[in-house]
Parts: sequence; structure tokens; C-alpha cells
Amino acid sequence: MIELYHIWKQYQKPHWALSDITLKIRKGDFHFITGPSGSGKTTLLRIVYRELFPTLGQIIIDGRNTLRIPEHRIYKLRRIMGIVFQDFRLLFHRRVFDNVGTVLQVLGTPQKEIRRKVFNALRMVNLQHKMWEYPSRLSYGEQQRVAIARAVVNNPKIILADEPTGNLDPELAFEIMGLFKEINKQGTTIIVATHDRELIRHFGYKILFLQKGKLIGKEGF
Amino acid sequence: MIAVFFLSKDTSQKELNSVEQTLKKFHLVTNVRFISSEQALKKFKVDFPELRQIIDNLKINPFPSSLEVSLSEKALTSNEILGFIDEMRNMKGVEDVQFNRDWVEKMQSFSKLTKAIGLFLGGILILASFFIISNVIKLSVFARKDEIEILRLVGASNTFIKTPFLLEGIVLGICGGSLSLLFLFLLVKIFPFYLGSSLGVLNELINFRYLTLSQSLSLVGGGAFIGFSGSLSSLSRFLKI
Ligand SMILES: Nc1ncnc2c1ncn2[C@@H]1O[C@H](COP(=O)(O)OP(=O)(O)OP(=O)(O)O)[C@@H](O)[C@H]1O
Ligand SMILES: [Mg+2]
Repeated sequence: MIELYHIWKQYQKPHWALSDITLKIRKGDFHFITGPSGSGKTTLLRIVYRELFPTLGQIIIDGRNTLRIPEHRIYKLRRIMGIVFQDFRLLFHRRVFDNVGTVLQVLGTPQKEIRRKVFNALRMVNLQHKMWEYPSRLSYGEQQRVAIARAVVNNPKIILADEPTGNLDPELAFEIMGLFKEINKQGTTIIVATHDRELIRHFGYKILFLQKGKLIGKEGF
Repeated sequence: MIAVFFLSKDTSQKELNSVEQTLKKFHLVTNVRFISSEQALKKFKVDFPELRQIIDNLKINPFPSSLEVSLSEKALTSNEILGFIDEMRNMKGVEDVQFNRDWVEKMQSFSKLTKAIGLFLGGILILASFFIISNVIKLSVFARKDEIEILRLVGASNTFIKTPFLLEGIVLGICGGSLSLLFLFLLVKIFPFYLGSSLGVLNELINFRYLTLSQSLSLVGGGAFIGFSGSLSSLSRFLKI
């Protein structure tokens, strides 16, 4: 489903944020990416959803070389993905409902269906009571859950989650991971970047270790 | 404006009728009035009583009969009128034409000049509004850069992102067009107050009036189009999608 071939990424000379990453993630897999802060987890995910181009290397997703997709058609790639950004990236002057609903709105989904799906997604993250709030009036943990609801609302083929539980208490973190587990069981490919060792150990999926941009180890394969 | 066609003495009734019909058919002619030589004589006597004696001594009537032709305002600036008058001059039964040819020629070149100036200014204003609108949209795009970025990340197509900005441009254009209609309305209402009757013949030439419905609609429609294309040009430059 996701294949990376010799990905190198350099923001500024002489540091390499990623060096020679090659990996294959099969459809329906659940991967954790872990490693110390600054090891390149976010960079790797941003390259996968093509917010960034790698300096070197190739990426095949769903059989397509994503680096060759022209800018005006990249939205098609994004539509098969649900992304939880480390910095959430919510629309701050739109209500929670609209933030989650945007994903469906861009597809031209009928209003009634949007309501139903958004409500369901918000219920999964226990936020249905904040549906009509603005994100700026939510706690970080709540904002993070809005971001998660937005990522799962349209049953994407792939979920990329960057520290999705970073601001949540352990119980809620486990609940959210449980949610991902359920979604994964239905065949969705999931990649979660996290520092949370306990979470990783508890769920025991495949693990990729990054350090200073290098893939230094794999576990559970 | 009036042109007077003097008829020769020996003009038959038939010739007179045919001249009159030809005149009436021409689209710039609004009215044709026949003045017989007797009427002309009478009028002369009323207008110049001191000369009455001389005329009475003449025993014959020196005045030819004539057709007094009223021309519409458009005749002043029309290209056809001079040719028409010349054609009529050669018609059987017509002796001479009294018509202020100089005046018409001057008016025509003046009117061409004002039209050229109008087109020039209009072109500049159209360009100006195009750039103003495209700048407004540019600011609007920059103000919402983060939002656009997020929308793109969650799978919004270009059309989805561009549409609101295009609509904004169109609305701006329509507002501009409607505002200028409003100003024109006020101008036409107020301007004659200031100038009053001092405008005289200029009034006839400039002819202050409202735009017709179709002109107004094309002004607003043109505004919408300028807004749309201004917005489009701005989007293609600053959205880079
Ligand atoms: N936009 C950028 N410009 C320059 N350097 C960057 C940029 N983004 C990241 N980097 C550098 O790339 C390296 C990897 O960053 P990245 O954000 O991928 O780390 P991370 O593993 O996600 O860290 P964290 O766990 O703190 O989120 C870091 O050394 C960082 O300084
Ligand atoms: Mg990160």
C-alpha cells in the first residue's frame, strides 16, 4: 500500500532529517513510528502525504508514484487518507462540526449524511457535546480529538496520525488507540507516530525506530 | 435642428409629394412641414413690417414654397445626414437647401473626439478595476493562506478552493457596476441643476440621459466579468494550483 524507496530529506545543509529510508507497509498493517524528538517522524509522514517532497527517493502509494502527481490532482491522494497533524491544523474560525465536516463537504456529500457522520465521529472521541463550539475554546486534548474525528470521519483507506495522543491522559490515549484498532480491523492501513512507549508496548503492533533520520530498527515483523 | 428645402416655382404636386415622402422615410427626419409661398409671404410681412411696402410694390410673390424639415438630435452626430442632404439637393423639384453644413461637420468631429476620449478613459478605468479587484483577491488569499493549506490537506479540489474567491470577485464587480449606475443616476439628476439652461446647444449634443436597460445590464454584467477575470488572474498567480 505504501512503499518508500531510499528516501532522503534535507531541509538545510548539512543535516539530513531523513537518510535512506526504505520500507513497505502492506494494506491493513498497523505501524508505530517511534524515536526521540527531532528524529524525523513528522518529516516522514509529511513526505507520505506529500506536503513535502523528499530530496531523493521514490514513493509508491496504492500503486501510484505520488511524486509524479501534479499539484492540481494531489487532492485525490489526500482523499484516501485521514491525517492527524501534530499541530492539529484546525480551522479556527469554524465550529467543531464544520471542522470535521469539511472532509465530507469537499466531496460534495449531502448535508444530512454529513450531519450523521460528523456526529458519529465526534461521539467516537467523546466530543459530541462540543459540536457547536469554536476550536479556540477547547482544551488541547479536545482539539486533538477534533483532529482525530476529522481524520476518521470518512473511513479513509490510510490513516496517518502524528502524536495523536500527545495531549491526552493515559486513559483517553488508550481509548483513542482502541478506536484506531477497531478501524484497523476493518482493513484500514494505519501509521501512528508516537513517543509513548507504554502505548506501543500495550498494543504490540509493528514498530519502526527512527534516530537522527535513520531507520535503526524494526520490531514485530 | 431644422433644414429647409426650397422648391422650384414649377414644381408639380406630384413632385412635391415624392420629395415629401422621401424626406419622411428617412429615419433621422422627425417632422416635415409644407410652407406655401403665400404663407412665406405672410410670415415675412409679419416679421418685417417695415419692408411691407417694398414687397407690396413688387406685385409678384418672390418667396418660393418650401418644406421645413425637423431633424432628430442624432442627426448632428450621424454620418448619414450630409450624404442625404446632398442627395436631396439633386432631386427634381428641389431648388436649394438651407442647412448648416459647417455646424454639423464640426459637431461630428467634436463628437468623434469625445467618443475617443470616452473610450480611452473607459479602457483605463476597466484596467484599473481589473487590477484593483485582483489585488483585493490577492489580499484575501493571503489572509486565508493557512485555511487554504488545511483545506488542501484534507482533500479539497482546486475548484472547491477557488470558487469562493471567484464569487467574491464577481460580487465586487457587480457592486462596482451598480454603484457606478447609481452615481450616473445622481449625476444626471443633479448636473442640469448646476448648469441650468446655460448649456444650450451643448445640452442637445451631450444629451444627458440615463443608460438604457440593456446598457445598464451590460455595465453590471461587464463588472461581474471583470471581477471574475481579476479574481481568476490573482488566483492563478498566488494560489499556485
Ligand atoms: N521546516 C523545517 N525546516 C528546517 N528544519 C526542519 C523543519 N522541520 C523539521 N526540521 C528538522 O528536521 C528534523 C526532524 O524533524 P521532525 O519534525 O521530523 O522530528 P520529529 O521526529 O517529528 O520530532 P517530534 O517528536 O519532536 O515531533 C529536526 O532536526 C528538525 O530540526
Ligand atoms: Mg513530530
